[in-house]
Amino acid sequence: MLTRHLRRGLQAGAAGGLAFGLFVALLGNPLLRYVETVESFEGGHSHAHAHGGSAVGPETVGSIASVAGGVVFGVLLGTVAFGALYYLLEPAIPGANGTRSYLLGASGFLTVSGAPWLLFPPQPPGVEAVLATDVRVRWYLGMALAGALACGLAGLAYTRLRARRGRLPAVFGAALPFCVLPILAALGPAAPISSSVPAALAYVFRMVTVVGQVGLWFVLASTHAWLLRRDRIGEPESTDADSTDRTTFADTYRVLDR
Amino acid sequence: MTATDDSVHDRLADARIALTPAQVAVAITLLAALGFVLLFAQAPMLHDSMHNFRHAAGIVCH
Repeated sequence: MLTRHLRRGLQAGAAGGLAFGLFVALLGNPLLRYVETVESFEGGHSHAHAHGGSAVGPETVGSIASVAGGVVFGVLLGTVAFGALYYLLEPAIPGANGTRSYLLGASGFLTVSGAPWLLFPPQPPGVEAVLATDVRVRWYLGMALAGALACGLAGLAYTRLRARRGRLPAVFGAALPFCVLPILAALGPAAPISSSVPAALAYVFRMVTVVGQVGLWFVLASTHAWLLRRDRIGEPESTDADSTDRTTFADTYRVLDR
Repeated sequence: MTATDDSVHDRLADARIALTPAQVAVAITLLAALGFVLLFAQAPMLHDSMHNFRHAAGIVCH
């Protein structure tokens, strides 16, 4: 059973990774190249932030490595979230079989991207953060942990309240933990930035990034739900066939007996 | 398939039977290493080559 769960997670990850790799190749890379030309045109402020003077190498190497990174990222998320975590948490996730995959996908998005973005929204290159990298990494991981905790609490609250009070209080109770996240983000360090990219372009970039991540999790969850359905349909059918075989056999036996 | 296991605790117990601690350790180490290289590695060569990916995924810890 564990292996079947892991295989489904890996397959969902492969689909998600492929989709996200395509997204990076078709949208991410060209958009970033464009942002970089605008940036050098606007500010004359070279794109050397945090990358020091190291040779970046040909642009294509970075593009290919980024597409590969996107694929691996999708496979990693699929394996961890839909392989291992789904196996462990399936009994605790509320909802029917199909919904569970989507709930886990939504939680994954909130944990990996949504919650940390409340504090540090995605930025195009050229927008430089003033805070030190290690401070940001620490807060990013902290927000991710808070997002995961909020999802867990919401699930727990929903299951408990659903059994005692009914659906509406359960939904309300599940919504409460998420209200803590914006408060936590407001308590976090202010993230001052110095930008050499026009605000409209930065906004477009941010939205494309959001759509990319939502899309990645949607593909992961949909593929996983589909695989689950396929495996579930496959199983009972075989046992049904067995039992019908047995009954027809029994019937013929009875007929012969008569 | 799910009829026999109905709690997270049972799943954990099942996993403990199916996997050896060494297998779990190797799997976690591999996944963590992969995640670290993708997201947080600051070594210039790795970091720069996946610069676009990190921006496109909205990961800003760099």
